[in-house]
Amino acid sequence: MKKTLYIFSSGELSRKDNTLFFETEEGRRFIPVEDTGEIMIFGEVTVNKRLLEFLSVKEIMLHFFNYHGYYMGSFYPREHLNSGFMTLRQAEHYLDEERRLNIAKEFVRGAARNIRQVLKYYHGREKDVARQINAVENLIAPIDECKDIPTLMALEGNIRDHYYHAFDEIVGNPDFIFQERTRRPPKNYLNTLISFGNSLMYTICLSEIYKTHLDPRIGYLHSTNFRRFTLNLDLAEIFKPIIVDRLIFSLLGKKMITKKSFDRVTEGIMMKEKARKCFVENLDEKLKTTIKHRDIGRPVSYRRLIRLELYKIEKHLMGEKEYQAFVAGW
Amino acid sequence: MNAREINVSGTLVWYYYICPREVWLIGHQITADQDDANVSLGRFIQDYTYPRERKELAVGQSKMDVFRVTDEGLVIGEVKKSSKFKSSARMQLAFYLSELRQRGIEARGELRFPKEKRKEEVVLNEQTERELDKVCREILRILYLPAPPEPKKISFCRRCAYAEFCWS
Ligand code: SF4
Repeated sequence: MKKTLYIFSSGELSRKDNTLFFETEEGRRFIPVEDTGEIMIFGEVTVNKRLLEFLSVKEIMLHFFNYHGYYMGSFYPREHLNSGFMTLRQAEHYLDEERRLNIAKEFVRGAARNIRQVLKYYHGREKDVARQINAVENLIAPIDECKDIPTLMALEGNIRDHYYHAFDEIVGNPDFIFQERTRRPPKNYLNTLISFGNSLMYTICLSEIYKTHLDPRIGYLHSTNFRRFTLNLDLAEIFKPIIVDRLIFSLLGKKMITKKSFDRVTEGIMMKEKARKCFVENLDEKLKTTIKHRDIGRPVSYRRLIRLELYKIEKHLMGEKEYQAFVAGW
Repeated sequence: MNAREINVSGTLVWYYYICPREVWLIGHQITADQDDANVSLGRFIQDYTYPRERKELAVGQSKMDVFRVTDEGLVIGEVKKSSKFKSSARMQLAFYLSELRQRGIEARGELRFPKEKRKEEVVLNEQTERELDKVCREILRILYLPAPPEPKKISFCRRCAYAEFCWS
């Protein structure tokens, strides 16, 4: 499988013949283009048009994060896989309210079931989260009843509230209390981790969408305005609990990230570079872990599961098979 | 799908004998996973075998390999990974021969299986033409279906680049 390249240092990324070339004050290095799947840029990096053209041909996406580690945007090369048939189907399912709501509900259902799965896991490890499991469970059935997207989104927010309230019990570390969900900028350590992990998840989903015939600008739960990518946000809902949140719990549990991993700056709280590196390395490991897939009959990595999810969405849009979100079995 | 896109091609003829679902997917530009190892192997074999005499001839939508120009005419052919899907390959070649014939060029066909060091003749006779005609109609019928034919587990699925799409 192709690798994700993370760049933390500052320098210039350019094209040298048929490879990528990264030059910093400390040194230079060649990066083989054939096994690079996407590039995530955290440092101050200069790029030029020639490089972008090259990445376009090689179908490699660039994701940019700012100094504080927040997602800024992506270089999404002009769509290389195109199926007019699929684009029409995708738009048709967006325009028809009922169809749109149907897909959006499945995203929320999938997210809720995965949330429940995470809570159950910690419940089994003697964490007192029974109340939250109950609350989440009680909100799963009402998803079916939602008549419109705003109601559905409110319900989703509700589920998430209960879930986040279990975090303090799961993490059990006074340095990392949840308080409330704050985004830009996050107001405490835990929120900083969640925001960072979620941004990474959004970009990974975006990169996977790029490998399919779907248009990332047409989402179902998150409204489309054609200027932003939204399908990746929809998709990430399903995987955030089982990939990002679990990773955060384990990094904190193993003390790989502590309050020393952060800096206080005027805008809020910022992860130190070392902590970010530790986070992405472990995320990368996690995405490579394989699980056995019942129907495909061979091991599938977490990363691949995201792609399979997109295939299922494509099949739903084609009218082949109703979409059922992936739910972790453990 | 607009009318211009609906066209039987040699590739579709090849896949027709293996899996009708694949015909539909390819016909709708739902291209298979490009990272798939078997897709790459196919490209590799195409690029690296018979480098000396190979020339490509494009006729209509098809691309075929020219092996020889003899006194009796052209010999065109296809290089295949193995003889496992021989009937697919035969009919694909017959399709190319008929595309040439429609343009007034008589040619013979030759299938090559470099790994097995074997080759096989294909000629366009009446029986082959009848069969070809039937196949082309059948392919069009599949392409016009509103949704792809359901996936059926066959031995080819294991090496098929659509496998994860079909079985997810
Ligand atoms: S995976 Fe199997 S069913 Fe699907 S297209 Fe390939 S051969 Fe056909």
